[in-house]
Amino acid sequence: MRRETTQGTPFLLPQNVNFTRFIPTSPDLSTTTYGVPRAAGQTSNLFLQPQKNTVLHSHGRPPWYGEDGVRICDAFVIGVAGGSASGKTHVARQIVKSLGSIPTVIILSQDSFYKFHTPEELALAHANKLDFDHPDAIDMPMFAACLADLKACKQSNIPVYSFSEHQRLNETKYLYGATVIIAEGIMSLHDPELRALYDLKVFVQCDSDLMLARRIRRDVEERGRTVSGILDQYLRFVKPSYDNFVQPTSSHADIIVPGHNNAVAIELICTHIRRQLQERSNRFRQKMAIPHLYLSNQFGSPRPDYTPEELNLTVLPQTLQVQGIFTILRSKGTLRQDFVFFVDRLATLLVEHSLQHLPYAPHKVVTPVGVDVKGLKLDAKYVCGVAILRSGGALERGFRRAINDVPVGSLLIQSDSQTAEPLCLHVQLPKCIRFRHMAEKAYVFLMDAQIGTGATAFMSIRILLDHGVRQDHIIFVTFLVARGGGITVLRHAFPDVRIVCGAVDDVMKEGWMENYISDFNPEGVGRKVWVMEPGMGQIGDRYYL
Amino acid sequence: MNCTTTASTTTSNSAHLNPLLPSVFTLPQTAQLEALYTIIRDKETSRGDFLFYSDRIIRLLVEEGLNHLPVVKRTVETPTGAIYDGVGFKGKICGVSILRAGEAMEAGLREVCRSVRIGKILIQRDEETAMPKLFYSKFPQDIADRYVLLLDPMLATGGSAMKAVEVLIEHGVPEERIIFINLIASPEGLKNFYGKYPQVKVITGWIDQGLNNKAFIIPGLGDFGERRYCT
Repeated sequence: MRRETTQGTPFLLPQNVNFTRFIPTSPDLSTTTYGVPRAAGQTSNLFLQPQKNTVLHSHGRPPWYGEDGVRICDAFVIGVAGGSASGKTHVARQIVKSLGSIPTVIILSQDSFYKFHTPEELALAHANKLDFDHPDAIDMPMFAACLADLKACKQSNIPVYSFSEHQRLNETKYLYGATVIIAEGIMSLHDPELRALYDLKVFVQCDSDLMLARRIRRDVEERGRTVSGILDQYLRFVKPSYDNFVQPTSSHADIIVPGHNNAVAIELICTHIRRQLQERSNRFRQKMAIPHLYLSNQFGSPRPDYTPEELNLTVLPQTLQVQGIFTILRSKGTLRQDFVFFVDRLATLLVEHSLQHLPYAPHKVVTPVGVDVKGLKLDAKYVCGVAILRSGGALERGFRRAINDVPVGSLLIQSDSQTAEPLCLHVQLPKCIRFRHMAEKAYVFLMDAQIGTGATAFMSIRILLDHGVRQDHIIFVTFLVARGGGITVLRHAFPDVRIVCGAVDDVMKEGWMENYISDFNPEGVGRKVWVMEPGMGQIGDRYYL
Repeated sequence: MNCTTTASTTTSNSAHLNPLLPSVFTLPQTAQLEALYTIIRDKETSRGDFLFYSDRIIRLLVEEGLNHLPVVKRTVETPTGAIYDGVGFKGKICGVSILRAGEAMEAGLREVCRSVRIGKILIQRDEETAMPKLFYSKFPQDIADRYVLLLDPMLATGGSAMKAVEVLIEHGVPEERIIFINLIASPEGLKNFYGKYPQVKVITGWIDQGLNNKAFIIPGLGDFGERRYCT
């Protein structure tokens, strides 16, 4: 079983883990233990040692926001502390394994937050004389800030610490979208700011002799160190640190888990977490934003039919050519090659039209004839596109024709075949959205083929807002909007998002899609879907298949 | 949002040709269009950028030109079984580029009209008479049955454009079936052209201030062919 990580690099799935996805953050991070800085040049072994920082995905992330577009729950945060080699990572991984099909879990290791070292500290570190087991070695405010962002469903770019260089690297690791976060490390219950963020605090209690025995075996076998070297370090740093800083934090724990034979304890923890998650889910399922649930024809609660003006839609001028293009695209008899050509042409016109929502500032230039011209210049620091896969990809060629040399990210959002909930399966965003300080200045063209129920549009806009993109900086470009569909709910939740569309269709109705083969429906059994009329059919299928 | 759109600059169309002639159509004078023109007017703009941004304007111009072609009512059935009353395109078209700068507009034309036929015409100034003279032309055989999109990026005095129309009419194309597409026009050129061929529709992106004593458009963008082909 081999899949792609969110970073687009291939990886191997360890045999003892049966998650759908398993993503190591970096080779350096994955081969570390606390207080045992590896000598420079020592080779890492990915297969012998467990991964520390991991992101696990299973079937996708359901909505985490309500009808008003506002987030209705935080991520569930678990802090796991305990002595070095007490088995914290094992406990964390067992919890994840036993929870089974939960959307996204991040295991955040304290190792990532070792401070940036001065040259003097660096020399000590390379001589194995720097105390990595002291609370001051950890950048606690940053640890807390990153955890707080992740808990609030925002993105976080956590530092990357290299154990071979004993230094924090320039790069960061982007994390977003976890439902459950496990923060583990010897000091993870030490800082009051961190403790305030945990929904559940776990301390792994293990006898000192057992921890020392494990440590000696591990360091001798896996790192080629001498017993006397290990003992020297243990007596100098590890043991005092455990007695002075680690062990006392067990008083903050909700649960104390033994460091061995702990299957029962883990099962108890998981039962608790499952119940907590279930309660949350039940509580917000009623409020969850699945816009078609609010459609008038579903419950008979009549919503007034809004005009495009009231919905604040920017509709492409209906010139003869645009009308002709739509006639071709709507016709079921249109050949695929014609469909592709006219979709590209329409997409180009749409994106050109949507450029009116970017800011322009006065700009003076000189022409080759030597005359001054007072003109205009684009006044946006970052511009990028995000295509909602699959059918949003149909707008991408048009986007590239109109906007030169900008990054284009993607989101994969599918609806669950049973509950019709939208599920976020994949997030790959350009750098100018991944970093919050850039996202706050970025203009983002969000592309999808149509807004029907609005569920996908709703979720994708929420993802951008989570990253710090301003609502009025989001330009949603789409071929069709259904007037009777989820657009009204979408508009109420996000009044400032610019929505540019090619045409507005009148009808949304429940239809039956035949032979739709997907991960959720491998046999291709027909399933119920919402369709637009007159519409353009399944745009993604017609463009790609 | 588009507060800058209305506060238009000195190069705005109505400022230089008011009222607009009945056969002359311009693109909507939006902020984003003005920003495009600012880029291609700038003498510091690199060739790559000049190509990309001039292509964008050409595409918009061709799209606008096509809107002047006739359509017929057409009813289709959608994949969901609904009936849609739309329109269908009618009439065959072909492009004719005035060499050599007009050739630069062919790529943009083909992006909008797949595999459209393109005729060519070479007109140069006769050194003796100082009048435009036809040196070469090659058209599709059935050009008389087609709508013709005549391509030349700059309309300065209008001399070569009028000569080209003359040649097309000689080949049997009715005046009202010619649509002349250009990026920048001078008010003098438009008036001359309209005076001679009032039935030919002119689609222009921007109407500039005027001509200098060398008959270059002011402020213009220099020699389009030179900037495009780096000659």
